[in-house]
Amino acid sequence: MRAGSYDSVLALAVGAVLVCAVAALWLSSVRGVVRVLAAQGLALGLVALLLGLHVHDTALVATAGVVVGLKAVVIPTLLRRVAGETHSRETRPLVNVPASLVAAAALSLLAFSTTRDVVRLVPTGAGKLVPVGFATLLLGFFVLVARRKPVFQMVGLLLVDNAVALIAFLITAGVPFLIELGVSLDVLLGVVVLMVLASRLRADYGEVDLDALQELRD
Amino acid sequence: MSPDLLAATGLLGLAGSAGGAVVGLRFRIPVVAGTTVAACACGLVTAGGVLSGGGPVTLEVGGIMPLSGFSLSLDPLGALFTAVTAVIGICAVIFSLGYHGPGLAGRPASTALPLFVTSMLLVPAASSVTTFLVLWELMALSSLILVLSDQRRRAEVQRAGEWYAAMTQAGAAAILLALVLLAGHAGGQSFAALAGHGPGMASWVRNGAFLLALVGFGSKAGMVPLHVWLPRAHPEAPGPVSALMSAAMVNLGIYGIIRVGDGLLGGGPEWWWLTVMGLGAISALFGALHSTTSTDLKRLLAYSTTDNMGLVLLGVGASGIFADTGHRALALIALVAALLHVVFHAVFKGSLFLAAASLEQGGGSRRLDDLGGLLRRMPVTGTVFLVGSLAISALPPLCGFVSEWLLLQAMLHGLPTGDVAVAVAMPLGVAVLALTGGLTAATFVKAVGIGLLGQPRSRGAVDASEVPAAMWAPSGVLALGCLALGVAPVTLVPAVLRAARVVTPAGVGDPLRHGWRLGLAGSRGVLDPVLLGLGLVAAVAVAAGARRLVQRGPVRRTAAWGCGREAQTSRMEYTATSFAEPLVRVFDDVVRPNRHLDVSHTSESRYYVESIEYHSSLDDDAFERRGYLPALAALRRWGDLARRAQNGSVHRYLAFGLVALLVVLVVVG
Repeated sequence: MRAGSYDSVLALAVGAVLVCAVAALWLSSVRGVVRVLAAQGLALGLVALLLGLHVHDTALVATAGVVVGLKAVVIPTLLRRVAGETHSRETRPLVNVPASLVAAAALSLLAFSTTRDVVRLVPTGAGKLVPVGFATLLLGFFVLVARRKPVFQMVGLLLVDNAVALIAFLITAGVPFLIELGVSLDVLLGVVVLMVLASRLRADYGEVDLDALQELRD
Repeated sequence: MSPDLLAATGLLGLAGSAGGAVVGLRFRIPVVAGTTVAACACGLVTAGGVLSGGGPVTLEVGGIMPLSGFSLSLDPLGALFTAVTAVIGICAVIFSLGYHGPGLAGRPASTALPLFVTSMLLVPAASSVTTFLVLWELMALSSLILVLSDQRRRAEVQRAGEWYAAMTQAGAAAILLALVLLAGHAGGQSFAALAGHGPGMASWVRNGAFLLALVGFGSKAGMVPLHVWLPRAHPEAPGPVSALMSAAMVNLGIYGIIRVGDGLLGGGPEWWWLTVMGLGAISALFGALHSTTSTDLKRLLAYSTTDNMGLVLLGVGASGIFADTGHRALALIALVAALLHVVFHAVFKGSLFLAAASLEQGGGSRRLDDLGGLLRRMPVTGTVFLVGSLAISALPPLCGFVSEWLLLQAMLHGLPTGDVAVAVAMPLGVAVLALTGGLTAATFVKAVGIGLLGQPRSRGAVDASEVPAAMWAPSGVLALGCLALGVAPVTLVPAVLRAARVVTPAGVGDPLRHGWRLGLAGSRGVLDPVLLGLGLVAAVAVAAGARRLVQRGPVRRTAAWGCGREAQTSRMEYTATSFAEPLVRVFDDVVRPNRHLDVSHTSESRYYVESIEYHSSLDDDAFERRGYLPALAALRRWGDLARRAQNGSVHRYLAFGLVALLVVLVVVG
């Protein structure tokens, strides 16, 4: 692959990760968001694959396989199971969709303006894309804050996790396979725990949001 | 001198604590008491060896604490405090065998008591910052557990515990900061390194470290305005524990100030010591005043601890000023006076607190207005309390007189030294000493007169009976100590001189004439306790003989102060409140008691009074009302604001996280 086309394909894949995060903020149906998350997993796997091919690192290519399997297949499947009925939607977000998109733009700008030092630190072409990872991270955090349904909380957490993985790939040209495997298993465990929590919440309170937990305060 | 005994002290303490935690109720008290007394004995022998000129005892134990090790080194200054603690510890622990007070036999208290005593024994031996802090914290926590041992039955105990916990932890934090500040600039954490670099450090480091240490150690010594925990915690603790706290633990606050100010920092500018003297003077007056007006026997004793520690601080401050202005001999004498007062205070306050606990157990109350007539019903305990009261009132030939006389001499001889600050401070110090002495005498006239003499004021006092020997013997030994040390201070003065020389400028000859007669070298004033005692005995004998000669014929016996009445009831007697009333009136602006006067009239006419009730209580003092309560209220308002931010919503907490992240990004980026 020629250098120029490698750079642009990598930029495209990284951009796809960010677009998926914005889409997660835009969509309100659970089903759609989970689909977006799966797409983001695919894009992340693509980033890892490209980097792996570029530096001829088979471990990184294997990592790409793990990422796709876990983040594009296993976790979305689990989430779909949590979501239960097919037409569940986020009807009363804490911050409505247009405002969320404006906030997303502001957060992206902030990410780009504050990470210039990091960019300077990493001289490779991939390093220039690090701000995208930070933007994704902030967007994921924003999903956590702005959405009520437990499923969306999980989505937000996974967005943050994907962003962290993306930043790790871009800065270090691939974390060791073993570490990536461990992190992925942690995330899987987190999702399972949250699944249990969400299903218990639904069993106890019906279809309510997390703020029902406010009653538990002293 | 071998360090084995020092190690044995620590190990016995740990063993006693483990025994208290594990052994069943039947053997628990003997096991705990036995090991603790043995630990005290080991400490006493070691300290005695050091004080009699055997050279410091050093013990280094690696491996107990990671990174730093555990290092002890007992020099004469520390040994003096260890010895005092050991004597008080032995007496208090033996006393606890007979004490039926609440909670002391329980598992938590039995675990804490050996730790408390042992940590107090070893704190003066600590020779590195970490060792000192660990032992100090151990002492604070174990004493807190002991204070709280009766908390299930009385709510006041819990409140006292809260005050004590807050104050002692704040004090420990100040001490931690002071020592860490010093260690950071000395580049090592052994006391030897600190003492080596201390005098040469930047002045802000020295000033900061000294002020922090003064706050931390001062609060432990009950120095006003950090004394608020003391009149709460000391009375609410079980009897032997309050004796330990009041006679041994507060001393360590003084030790800390001397060790850091004079020892590690090598003395300091005049304003340090003027501050110490000023705070000491305020503590002495304030404590004396409040003990005059207290009606609770143990609270009275606790305030008098603040008073006596104030006098000690007066001596320490005077010593510092003399050292700074180059009057080395006077510096040594003032410090000797202060240290002697520490020792004597421990002896008489120990006997008084133990006797007070006995009176409480025998008479069923510690409120003076519920006692009365106990000297006849509990003769030994009553006599012990009487002797302790005479000693604390600084009457010859008991020990309190010796140290206060010496302190007075040091301050009076400082007058012609020419320095302006000295010329102002010393006369004020003398005045404080005099006024405090008068107030203390009034206080103990009240305590003895209301509590021991007269008629019993309650059922409990009527039924009072003498406590077992395990209780009166230890307090009696301490009372005998008051007499012995008062008559023969010669037994103690060389050791105290050796202790004071550790931290005062070197190169001073013998500034004291200390044979059987005590006096300052180069001055005509001499105190001869033996002659004084003999003179007093002779005077009493002459007076009694003269009375026998004058009074011939039959003696009519009737109730004292009966005004010729046949039947006299306890309701006709002075109460503790009424006795203190004139003094309260004089110092009204300072004391500001809560007064309630209820007058009820008969229904027929308003000119006839049915009953008058007068209550005057001093549950909180002026510092508490003006300083602490407003500060606490402000803190609470701040806390309520914080609670409003924490509404329990997961989303809000997540938003806090996001905002924090953004702030960090903006600040760093």
